[in-house]
Amino acid sequence: MTKAKKKKSAGSKQWIWYLFLLPSIIGILVCMAYPMLEALRLSFFKSNGSIEAWKGLDNYKYVLSTGVFGKAVFNTFFITFFQLIVVIPLGFIIALAINSLKHYKNLLKALFFIPYISPAIAAGTLFLFVLHPQGILNELTGVFGIPAVSWLENATSARFGASILSIWKSLGFNIIIFLAYLQAISPEYYEAAFIDGCTNLKAHRYITIPQMGGAIAFLITMGWINGLQRFTEVYALGGVTGSPARSLHTIVGFIYERGFGNYEFGVAIFCLLLF
Amino acid sequence: MKKYVDKEENTCSINNKGARIFLTVILLGAGLLLILPFVWMTVVSFERYANINPPFPPSFKVKNFSWFNFKIVTENGAMLKAYKNSVTVAVLGVIVNTISVLMGGYAFSKGNFKGKKLIFLIIIATMMLPFETRMIPMYKLFLKLKLVNTFVPLILPNIIDAFGIMLTKQFFDKLPDCLSEAAAIDGAGPFRTFMEIFMPLTKPIVATIVILKFMDNWNSFLWPLVILTGEDKRTVPILISAFSYEGGTRAAGSTMTVAFLGIIPVLIVFLILQKYIIQSIALSGVKGE
Repeated sequence: MTKAKKKKSAGSKQWIWYLFLLPSIIGILVCMAYPMLEALRLSFFKSNGSIEAWKGLDNYKYVLSTGVFGKAVFNTFFITFFQLIVVIPLGFIIALAINSLKHYKNLLKALFFIPYISPAIAAGTLFLFVLHPQGILNELTGVFGIPAVSWLENATSARFGASILSIWKSLGFNIIIFLAYLQAISPEYYEAAFIDGCTNLKAHRYITIPQMGGAIAFLITMGWINGLQRFTEVYALGGVTGSPARSLHTIVGFIYERGFGNYEFGVAIFCLLLF
Repeated sequence: MKKYVDKEENTCSINNKGARIFLTVILLGAGLLLILPFVWMTVVSFERYANINPPFPPSFKVKNFSWFNFKIVTENGAMLKAYKNSVTVAVLGVIVNTISVLMGGYAFSKGNFKGKKLIFLIIIATMMLPFETRMIPMYKLFLKLKLVNTFVPLILPNIIDAFGIMLTKQFFDKLPDCLSEAAAIDGAGPFRTFMEIFMPLTKPIVATIVILKFMDNWNSFLWPLVILTGEDKRTVPILISAFSYEGGTRAAGSTMTVAFLGIIPVLIVFLILQKYIIQSIALSGVKGE
């Protein structure tokens, strides 16, 4: 009898669940489905807001042939690649170090995390001064005898400067994620290893690092996605055109700059890049 | 390396106290190094002549302590307005998001209805769509609706949050089904069950969502940049960048002070709630992908 009763109430009340999903569904329609389809549609037209003209694949051809877009893609990839290559191992090592302490862990976590929570614009503006020829970055490298670099004045060093900003900002996040994964490793693994006479280094190589696979995958994915969307920091450092010499121009910067003219292809390409 | 199994966390700590102290000192040093830019920013903000004498080479001593820079920067009330705007957008955005996400997660966790799996998949798929691709059509849409330069376009997108729904769904999954079953037997419909039984239990996950979404909304830059065209509607990040550009050769004092004022509130909130914030982000990372 109970089963029959349950079935009956389940059937008649089903529609209520859809109400629960109403906000999300409205959101998807308005903010996701419509814009995406419209973007795709528009990518085949040349539009100035009210008048449209069918252009076929011309937009795509145009974008792919402008040197500027190529530069934007290169910059975006470059900055992100360099950032991830440094921040992931560095984050891991620091997380490992923090994890092996008994006290001050929370203090250290908070300390390293502060750059991450600061608004990107403020951090970027701050770094205009940090990367100045006489700014603190050069002071620091000066301590090690490395000559001062005019970070923001030529193309390559500007990109490295942007990478440094990203590393600085995302280090805390990487550390936290690694710490979470490190704490999930059961101590029993280590106990067993040490009973068998394993050294610390070997323990890390065979126990710790393999378990970090999930963390690394996550951080690479998130880092990559965030990198593709990079705009705010480079905007603060280099403006809309990504000076110097467009070296800080990112894909999104390109979209923003050309945007309200004929950006649509940029959009489609962006989509493709994500898959 | 012996393990101390802590009651709170599983830890592997270094046995040797000396080594630990050494490591702690190094890490503290590294941490302080990392926040050095902020320290410098604070020093320059309070430096009376920072606008005239560039702050190079950098020193960490305030030669002429003064609130002068703060006065100039807040003179025309733009900063205060920006704060008000940011708070409005962030608070409303968080409310919209929390409601939508709690309801969605609950439906997917405790609900039973046709197409549940399909809709869930669709929602997860939306996570993959980057905002920038939708940005311009959304702008055009709001243009048509005459909602440009209002806060609505900033608040509305908070309504769809696949990640948030995943978090809440996992949370509700952990709450025992017998609660909803008992409610059903007593004749309560899904909505009542939701409001009276499950909602009061959602405090931890709501805290997480509120923190993450608040930070997201507060720090948001690109979309407000596109949508807000009026000077009085600017949010804090926009104001900071506008300041930096109006400055021309970037008067160091003013710029640093504006950055300071932009970072300090977030910093304070962070320092108070840091344990929860860090926990939330760690959680989102481990459960995320």
